[in-house]
Amino acid sequence: MAPTNLLQGTLDLLILKSLALGELHGLGASRRIEQITRGTFQVKPGSLFPALHRMQDAGWLASSWGLSENNRRAKYYKLTAAGRRQLDVEVGTWQRIAVAIRFALAAT
Amino acid sequence: MSFLRNLLNRASVDQDLDAEVQSYIELLTDEKIRMGMSPDDARRQARLEAGSADRITEEVKERRSGVWLETTLQDLRYGLRLLRRSPGFAALAILTIGLGIGANSAIFSVINGVVRKPLGYPESDRLMFITSQFTSLSFNRFWVSPPEYLEYKERTKAFSHMGAYTTGAMNVSEGDQPERVNTVFMTASMWSVLGVNPVVGRTFTEEHDIPNADPVVVLSHELWTRSFASDPAVVGKRIEVQGTPRTVLGVMPPAFDLHDAGAQLWAPLGLDPANRQNRGSHFLYLVGRLAPASSESQANAELLTLLRSWREIAATGHVPNDSTHRVQMTPLRDDVIGNVKRALWVLQGAVLLVLLIACANVANLLLARAESRHKEFAVRTALGAGRTRILRQFMAEGVVLSVLGGLLGLALAYWGLQALLAANPRSIPRATEITLDPIVLGFTFAVAVATGLVFGLAPLLHMGDKAVSQAIKEGGVRTTANAGRNRVRRGLVIAEIALAVMLVIGAGLLIRSFDKLTSVDAGFNPANRVTFGLVLPPAAYPEAQRRVTLHGDLRRKLEQIPGVQSAGAMTGLPPFRQVNANDTDFEDYTFVPGSDGPIENVDYYQTVFGDYFGTMGIPLVDGRVFNEGDAAGGPVVVVNEALAKRFYPDMDPIGKRLNPFVTREQTWFTIIGVVKDVKQGGLDAPAGTELYFYYDQAPRIAGSAPTQMNVVLRSTRPIEALASGIRQAVREMDPALPIVQLRTFEDVVGASVTRQRFLSLLLGIFAAVALALAAIGTYGVLSYMVTERQREIGIRIALGAGGGQVVRLVLGQGLGIALIGIVIGIGGAYALSRLTASLLYGVSPSDPLTYGAVAVTIAAVAAAACMIPTRRAMRVDPLEAMRAD
Repeated sequence: MAPTNLLQGTLDLLILKSLALGELHGLGASRRIEQITRGTFQVKPGSLFPALHRMQDAGWLASSWGLSENNRRAKYYKLTAAGRRQLDVEVGTWQRIAVAIRFALAAT
Repeated sequence: MSFLRNLLNRASVDQDLDAEVQSYIELLTDEKIRMGMSPDDARRQARLEAGSADRITEEVKERRSGVWLETTLQDLRYGLRLLRRSPGFAALAILTIGLGIGANSAIFSVINGVVRKPLGYPESDRLMFITSQFTSLSFNRFWVSPPEYLEYKERTKAFSHMGAYTTGAMNVSEGDQPERVNTVFMTASMWSVLGVNPVVGRTFTEEHDIPNADPVVVLSHELWTRSFASDPAVVGKRIEVQGTPRTVLGVMPPAFDLHDAGAQLWAPLGLDPANRQNRGSHFLYLVGRLAPASSESQANAELLTLLRSWREIAATGHVPNDSTHRVQMTPLRDDVIGNVKRALWVLQGAVLLVLLIACANVANLLLARAESRHKEFAVRTALGAGRTRILRQFMAEGVVLSVLGGLLGLALAYWGLQALLAANPRSIPRATEITLDPIVLGFTFAVAVATGLVFGLAPLLHMGDKAVSQAIKEGGVRTTANAGRNRVRRGLVIAEIALAVMLVIGAGLLIRSFDKLTSVDAGFNPANRVTFGLVLPPAAYPEAQRRVTLHGDLRRKLEQIPGVQSAGAMTGLPPFRQVNANDTDFEDYTFVPGSDGPIENVDYYQTVFGDYFGTMGIPLVDGRVFNEGDAAGGPVVVVNEALAKRFYPDMDPIGKRLNPFVTREQTWFTIIGVVKDVKQGGLDAPAGTELYFYYDQAPRIAGSAPTQMNVVLRSTRPIEALASGIRQAVREMDPALPIVQLRTFEDVVGASVTRQRFLSLLLGIFAAVALALAAIGTYGVLSYMVTERQREIGIRIALGAGGGQVVRLVLGQGLGIALIGIVIGIGGAYALSRLTASLLYGVSPSDPLTYGAVAVTIAAVAAAACMIPTRRAMRVDPLEAMRAD
């Protein structure tokens, strides 16, 4: 399936969601997004890292260096309390948009 | 917080980011190996998918908070590095901007010190300067008489304090060298008006300020430091002033002055409040301090009421009224600044034009560099530099240039100001208050930043999307000229030339009027004449006859100095002195109010001594001049042509009589001769009416003789050769007499036009700078065009174009630009001519000669600037040109 261009603002939601279950490194987050969107969204490092750093600066994410499953040094990201709140906010927003768009498309 | 953290730990954050991106690539490689790829393929594939690691880190950095500050610092460092790589360009640009900013700062400091700064008194905006105005005599700013001052002071309520003063000079004999210093004689009330306290001792009070009081004096800080070694013990002592001992009461703070009098001594005026008879004796200036509750308009209203009812105060004698003898007030500061304000703003406008030209030049240089660097930008864009980042680096280069230029400009402004003030100390009011203060520094900084933005933005004009993609396509190969880019560059040069034309026309007009002014016939010959002032204090020379005798003896000694042809003396030094406007009774003539006839008043009284007219070179028109026989003869006067024309339009003035009120009784003086007019009110003013008296007659007929005389010597020898002989002669007469301002008469005439010289000199310098900058700009654009079109020119030559055609191509383009600039500039100069009109003398603000000469000059300069590029174009080798790049 051809990767869809990420909607503006969707990337934050996806990253927050991908980290909701636990901490991941950059590649892990990107693979997790691919997995939960069934391959629709593939996040390239050129968008991923700026987003991770921006969200960390906003206080939603915290990071620390750790070891990967095959003993590589990698930087792991996890949600902060603020990040969880932000995830709730974004989910709410998104659902309102999704409902609105569905109604809009159903209209004749 | 993270912004600060990022900034503070920039190095570790960067390392961290690099490590993170590396680890990502490794993890991706591992993943691919797990999926069955060979390690080498996996690594290559991972790198490809991740894209350039640099690009990722670059993008993260750009998004990071605090990024602007960091990249700004980086940009500035980058800008500095670039400039270090091309020192020639950097030096030229910084020098150009430095000149522009320096000139602006220097002139702004003058405006700041002279026009903007309040005077050095507390609440100085409450101080009003009060003068008389005689509309029928066209004296717009005349003195006030003592009774008028007293009545004004008694009958107005708008002022909390009011004082009167007059200026003069006194001899101070302290130490071995007698000295003549400027003195302000003022009422004790003036201290309350000005509100400044002495640093040592006290000031004088009402008890000192009455006729025949014990003489006292207050010293200026400068005199105290210079002549009394800053000794506080001098307070209470008596010093010898004008041959009389005066008690020193106190010392004023540094720079304390009144209306630029340059006062070194402050002495009581000693008016007699009971004497209301001397109504015609106008010699005072008044300063009033507005009461806290009253405004300037209230004071004016009060003044008008008083003017209309003044007749009720004094029934006899002339009194102020609101038609012929007004009393007027202006804020003291406006009067001190006077007409120099407009001249200063014209100068500021001129230096602003210079700065604009400098900006245009630097913008052009930057544009040229930007074009030659587009390959570099293409490469950097491909490597992942954001376009905004590249544009910012342009700006950074501009800001670095303008800040360095600003620093240079500040240094130039500092030295320039020193030189300016040293060369022309008396040509502008309040010159001592001109300094580089924080306001000037702020102004300079603002100008520098604005400058940097202006020319930093110029290259952005053609750095859009297209430029980048085109640069990539071109791959750095220079193609023929891009029309858009060249339009910008040509526009800049046209603007430069137009601004230069305006400036050069302005300077040309001022220089021409200065030339006219200095070639005005002053009525006497200043060449080969030397003059100095000599004051015989009444205390040391109480009898008038002794003063005349001393001058006679001195004259004989002076005429024995080798090379001296003749000597004379006069009370008032032409060509610029204060008007006398003395009432004078003409026999058989009475002024009828309302008629066209002249009022019986003479502008200048001049008492002369020795062979005055011969020594000064003033030609006799009719009758005879004084001779030694007149010393014992009847009262006689010589008049000038202006007086003869005004009072004796249809008759021969010789033998007619007039009474100048210089004696107590009615004494009629007979006119014995008419001489040519001598300028007394400045070279640019018409000569007034003038009466000449004979010094030798004064003691016998007037019962007194002037104490201050200006001695004049005629000699072809230089002043240096005469000086020692003159000093020797004066010392032999009386060693206590100071020689005041020994100088050539040419210097005296020159000093009367210092302001005009100052203005035309400065504007001339600015115009020359502007012209040079515009020439550099024209040269730059044209030589760039030749480089750019080298290939085209080569092809043309290969196809058989002759030298003439190549010259036409290049020169035509250069002169076309110049011509458009000249036409626009002439239009601009004409539009601005009304602003400069009041500064001109004898030249029309739209003087066709000046306009024509400037147009030709600038065209010639532009043609000269085209010469080198044209020659280069002619030498283009067609083979090499086509093979190049």
